[in-house]
Order: sequence, then C-alpha cells, then structure tokens
Amino acid sequence: MSEWQDLVTASLIGTERAEVPAPAVPGLPVRADAVPGDPAALLLDRAALLTVARRGGTLIRPAGSGFEAEPLPAAEPDPAPAVSPAAGGRLDRMLGGEHPDLLAEWLTAAVARSRRVPPRLLPALLDRVRRVSPSDPDLRRLSAEAGGARARWLARLNPDWTFVTALTESGDDTWRLGGKSQRRGYLAALRARDPAAARELITQSWAAAGPERVMFLSVLANQGLSLADEPLLEAALDERDAEVRGWAAHLLARLPGSALGQRMARRAAGCLRIDRGVHGARLIVTPPAGCDAAMRRDGVTSRRAGGPAEMDGRTHLLHEVLARTPLRTWTGQFGRTAEQILAVPSDAWAPVLFTGWSRAAMAQRDQDWMTALVDWALAGGPTGTLFGAETLRQLARRADPARCARETTARPAAEIPLPIRDAISVLRFRYDMLKELEL
Amino acid sequence: MAERWDRERVLALAPDAPSQRTALSLASGRAWPATGAAAGADAVWGECRGSAAAPYRTVVDLSGPAYRCSCPSRKFPCKHVLALLLLWSEGSVPDDAAGPPDWAGSWLVARAERASRTPSAEQAEPKDPRAAARRAEQRETRVASGLAELDRWLGDQVRQGLAASQQAGYAHWDEIAARMVDAQAPGLAERLRALASVPHSGAGWDGRLLEEYALLHLLAVAYRRQAELPPPLRATVRSRIGFSLRQADVLAGGQPIRDHWQVLARRDLEQDRIRTRRTWLRGRKTGRDALLLSFAAAGQALDDSLAVGAETDADLVFYPGAVPLRAAVLARHDDSDGAGGGASGGAPLDAGPPDGGTIAGLLGGYAAALAADPWLDSWLAVVEIIPVRGPAPAVRGADGGSLPLHPGAGDCWPLFALSGGRPVTLAGEWTPRGLWPLTAWDEAGRAVPL
Repeated sequence: MSEWQDLVTASLIGTERAEVPAPAVPGLPVRADAVPGDPAALLLDRAALLTVARRGGTLIRPAGSGFEAEPLPAAEPDPAPAVSPAAGGRLDRMLGGEHPDLLAEWLTAAVARSRRVPPRLLPALLDRVRRVSPSDPDLRRLSAEAGGARARWLARLNPDWTFVTALTESGDDTWRLGGKSQRRGYLAALRARDPAAARELITQSWAAAGPERVMFLSVLANQGLSLADEPLLEAALDERDAEVRGWAAHLLARLPGSALGQRMARRAAGCLRIDRGVHGARLIVTPPAGCDAAMRRDGVTSRRAGGPAEMDGRTHLLHEVLARTPLRTWTGQFGRTAEQILAVPSDAWAPVLFTGWSRAAMAQRDQDWMTALVDWALAGGPTGTLFGAETLRQLARRADPARCARETTARPAAEIPLPIRDAISVLRFRYDMLKELEL
Repeated sequence: MAERWDRERVLALAPDAPSQRTALSLASGRAWPATGAAAGADAVWGECRGSAAAPYRTVVDLSGPAYRCSCPSRKFPCKHVLALLLLWSEGSVPDDAAGPPDWAGSWLVARAERASRTPSAEQAEPKDPRAAARRAEQRETRVASGLAELDRWLGDQVRQGLAASQQAGYAHWDEIAARMVDAQAPGLAERLRALASVPHSGAGWDGRLLEEYALLHLLAVAYRRQAELPPPLRATVRSRIGFSLRQADVLAGGQPIRDHWQVLARRDLEQDRIRTRRTWLRGRKTGRDALLLSFAAAGQALDDSLAVGAETDADLVFYPGAVPLRAAVLARHDDSDGAGGGASGGAPLDAGPPDGGTIAGLLGGYAAALAADPWLDSWLAVVEIIPVRGPAPAVRGADGGSLPLHPGAGDCWPLFALSGGRPVTLAGEWTPRGLWPLTAWDEAGRAVPL
C-alpha cells in the first residue's frame, strides 16, 4: 500500500524534483537491467505494473478489518403479498410522471385489498410522498400502509423517510407534545382505527384548539364521516372563523341525512320542476330569489366570493344550492333515476345543472349520479364552458370507471373536444389501474 | 403507414429521465390544441401551448425518425417531440387526410428531397484493394506517431508533477484528445477526454490519475512492440487504441458459440451525443460471459431486443482479444413455434435468477482476466450478497467479507429495498472503483433493473 503511495507522491511532485521510488511487487523480481534512461518513463512503467497488481490483488475486506460494514437487521416478513407485476409497472410509470394525481387512488385501492407496493418502488414512492406531503398529508399514511414492513425497515435507514415510522410508533405523548403535523398524523391514525374515539378527542380538545380546528375537520373529511359527526359539525357552523364554518358546511352537505341537507332540499325543491308540454318533458328552472342569513350559515357563498365568472348572481345561487342538496331530493321529487332526469331537456340551464349536480355527486360520493353525469358529458350533453371542463376533469377522477362510458360516440375522432378526450383517457387509465390491482 | 410505436419505444428516445417526466406530464390533450398524423407520409405534427405566446410547432418524421420543434430547448429530442409521440402512441392523434399544415409540410418535403440525394452508406465498400491497403498503411503511420506524441505528453505530465492538473481546465485534456483524433486513435481520445473529471473526483484523485496515465503509457509501449505480442493480446491493444473491426467481418470470420444466453445486466452510457448500451450475457452451458455493445446517436432508440431477465438461444461470435468478452449475435434460435422462422425474437421472459457466485470467486476471475488484459476495467459480477450501508454503501458476502459499491452509483436505495437485509442475487459491473449494481432478482425470481 505505502509503495503505491510513494509513487503517487513522486508523480505529484514530478520527476524533475523527486526520486523515482522502486516498489517491490510481491512475486515479481525487480528488474534492474531493464531500467530506461528517462525517469518519467520509469515512473510510469512502475506505476502501470503496480496498478495492475493492485487491481488484480483487490482483497475482500475481511470481517473485523475496520472497513467492514455492519450487517443490517433483516426486515420482518410481511404477510401481505405485493401487487401484481402489471400494477407495479403502472405505479412505476405514475412515479415517473404519468397521472401523478392518481397516486392516492392507487394506494387506497392497494391498501383496501391488503396488497403491498413492490419493494423496488418504495424508494421512489417515499421520496415523492416526502416532497408533496406538505400539501397532501394523507399520502403519508397511505404510503406507510401500502409500504408495509419493508417501508418501515427502509425508513429506519434514511432519515428523509422517518414519517413512515412516526405514524406507527406515536403514542399519547405525540398528541400532547407533538407539532401540528405529528398531531395530525396521530389523529388520522386514530380516526382510521376508531372513528368514535377520534371524534371524542376532537370534542374534548375543541375549545383549546384555536387555529387547529381546521385541521381537525380535514381529518374528519378524509375518513369515516357519518351522521354521528353531525352535532359537532352543526355547532361549528356558528364559529367565528370563516374557514372552520366553510369546512363544517362542506362536510354536512356531504351527509345526505343531515339537517343541513334537509334545509337545502327545501330551498332547492322550488327551483326545478318538470313540465310536460306538447313537445315533451322540459326542465323548468327558477333560481333562488336571494341569499339570506340562514343560507349563508349553511355555507352558500354570495356572488362576490368567487365562482364561475360567466354566471350572474341568481344563477350562481342556484349552483350553490344544487351543490349542497341531497341528490335523492331529485330522484324522489321527479320519480325518475339520475339518468332519466339528465335526459330531460334543460336548454340553456344544462351547464349550470351539470356543474351543480356534479359537485353534489362528488361530495356525496354518489356513484349513480357520477356515472350518469359522465355519460351525459361524454355524449356531448352539457355544452362546453370553461367551468364545465374543470368539473368534468374532476368527475373523471372520482367516478367509478367500470360503470362509466369510456368512449364517446358523439362525433368523429378528430373533432372530439379536448376536455372530453382528456376525461376518456383518465377514465381508461383508472379502469386499467383498478383492474390490475384486482389481479 | 408506419406501425404505431408503443410507449416504451417512445420513452427510450428521451435523452434523460427528467425529459421523460416532463414529456409524460405534457402528453395530455389539454396542452395540444391541434395535432395530426399523415397516414401515408409517416409523419406526426402538432401545436403545443407553452409559456410563449405562440404555440410551439412540433413535427416528427417517423421514418427517420427525425424531429423538429420551434421551442428553444437544447435537449434532443425535446419534451414536445416526446409528448407528441406519446399522444400518437396511445392513439390520441387523429389521422388527417388533408395532410400536414404548411409549416410541417415544407420541412418534411425538404427532408425527403435530401434523403433521395444522399446515397446509402451501405454501398461504401472498398472498391480498390490497393487503395485500401495504402490507406491502412497511412493510418498505421499516423497512429504510431500519435502514440509517440502521447507518450511524450504523459512523460511531461509526470516530469512536471500531477499537482498542477487540479488547476488545469478541460482544455488540457481536450487538446491531447483532439490530437489523438487527428492521429486516428479514437479509443485513446475517448479515454483522455474522460480524464478531465478525475482531478475533481474527490480524495484519491491523484492515484486514479496516475493509474490512468500509467495504463496509457503501457498501451503506447505495447503498440510500439506489437510485433512481439501474441495475436490475441495484439488484437486487444489495437482495439483499445481505436482500430475497430467491422461487425460483419467479425461475424463472418469467427467461430460461433451457441448457448442459452441469460441476459443479466444492462448499462446505458452517453458521451458526445452518442449513446452506448452495454448488455451483459452469460451462457448457461458454457458459463462464458459476453458483452454486447450497441450504439445510437442522441435521439435514436437503442437496441431493445434483449430484455434483462430474459434468456436467448443464440449463436454469438466473439471479437478477438486476450480476454474475449465483446461479442455480436450471429443468429437467434428462439422461434419456439418454428413456423415463422423469421428474425423476431420470441425469447421466454424471466429466465429466473442466475447462480450467484461468491465475492472471492468474482475477484479471482477478474484477477485472472487482468493477467491477460491489463486494461480490463469492467467485468461482469454475479454475486450472492447482502447490501450494507455504511460508512459507504457496500455489499457483503456470506463469508462476511465486503466490497464497496461504486461511488457514482449513488445511494442504491432500490437494491436495499429489494433486499430488506436478506441475501439477494446481484448482477453488475465490477470496476476498480467498486461494484456498479445493475440488476437484482426479487423474491419471486424476477429480474429488477436497478
């Protein structure tokens, strides 16, 4: 070893000023007779000999040599099997940039089927989740669950991935002493395990929680929302913080049996009726006259608070009310299925009805309505507005792709509008994705 | 009409991984208000909304393939080309019977005209054997004087001291590399250009630079005395200098070796806009290792016919050399149904993991090969190991000894994830700086490229 170092030192200084050392290579005699006159060539000759000797003589770093790395503890075996190779291949593509917004759906479906992420993809998955999780904290829990034992093992090796174990190893102290994201993780895990216990914890902590109340409500939104949560949410409608009020109204509108839902249904009932004229049935639309304090308490925003620029004030109110009205109001009132209601001509109102009902269907997770709405849009029903395109984009990511049409027969391929083309490609992607996860 | 490419083929054109990612995110109809494909002319075009006010105009001649895009990107092909091809591959680009718009059409026509003027390279057979012999002689003279100059240069470096090289810029090596190009010794030029990064490669750079200079010096001496060398070693020396053999001549002249070759590992490298794919095979019966090289200019797809983890029944012919590793495929015999008899490879995928060797066996084999070819600096490793973390990532054999992983290979997290602290079969390239991991086999026996 030191013989090589001597040669390197001499070469750094240069043979103009340094002697050329004569290294001994084990097994080779020093050939004094073959010394050329040029010391530089001599040094290069000897360096070549020693280079090859050293490369050929690389030794295993033996146990106890100081170089030896500590063996790692083996990961505990995971009883859950990995997903099918096809599903793994698709996850690989998603991590590579294809439809990354569907990652949560892939992970949710894998967790629901008790299948695991293939180990080779875990590093890329955990890196991605770490990058995006400040805006999407639920991904942390999903990736930890879908990653299973192997993800926990990896997380102990790389400090970047500690969130995986932080979720599973946290005790009551985390709730009392932890930071906001740890407390959120604790609450989300508890909500997944025992929804009632999480609700109880929120109720107890509500008064002292201050700005964390929004976080509490977002945890409720993600898992296990039920009518048992209604008293808590109804009380929150009278909070001072507008964001808390907004969340509470949003969640109550998702619960079709809630009192808020019934209030909305009463406001909405007069707005739509079916008129059987001589030319066939028509939907006659009468938007609400105005927005009162009770409507505002229930989350209806006035015109100024945003919403599509192309709607006037009363149209906007109709849209807000429709989005919060239980969808069975309509099937009950008209005695028709979602599909049949959408088939009734509604003329210029179609785009507003489309976005309003779509928001309601997505909030209430009503697959019958989502399916009917997607089919309506793919068949070219509600004519295109910018807002309608965005609504279709969201519908295509939430509707059950196995039930929706995944192509359009409305017109020749070259003329299909972009939002419809996009929706079809997303629905097909999700259809294949979910099918592969069944394998 | 051109057969529609699949997405893998399109993604294989990407110059790097970030380009793949951005292309995938751009490959949605929303970014492309207008696209079209010409059924007859084998072309695709489209306008992509970008950050600029005017849309980017992208056109692809599928027969080349050749690309053109109005965006300012210096990547080639750019993300717009890749995204457009992805859309086309999934069937989202409508056929346009009206033909391409003018901006695309004029370029396509100009290309077609150029193509009809250029005679095909295949016809460049030597016409006059005497002239060919004269050219070969001239080249020998040039290479000989180039190597003499290189040896003087190497002597100068060592005489003045390597310490100065840390301050030297890339030009220092580019200059001597360019002279080797003039001397028609491209193999040396490539090696010299690669040296520019060594002084900034961290602790031990001085030793690594001296190693490379010494081996180049050895090559210069070996060329000078090539008449004294046994023929295989002479072939090795000449190929390392850059005398390349035509693959057709190798296939025609060599002894084919038929075996079931397991495709164990693959590594893609890029230098000077040329991409090189190194595919490592191991014969089941013969136990021989073979290295297949394929090349592609930036923007062209690399040969994808041998997938890692597959096995192929094929005749290989080895290039001559002291340690014959490089080979070319003469014929494949994988057509299991026997009816087609065509060239399509129907190799069974997932041949299962190879027999993993020990670390001692790997080092013993490399040492023996090095005795025959002292310049050999990458060697197929197939070992049964457990990856370990640290001080630096390494692999540990069943006997408790360990080898470092190549520092350039990074953290190697997928290898760790796959192993979970348990032994795995790993294939890779063993180099003087460490093991470069390329393929591992998972619990189900499937090959996983790392």
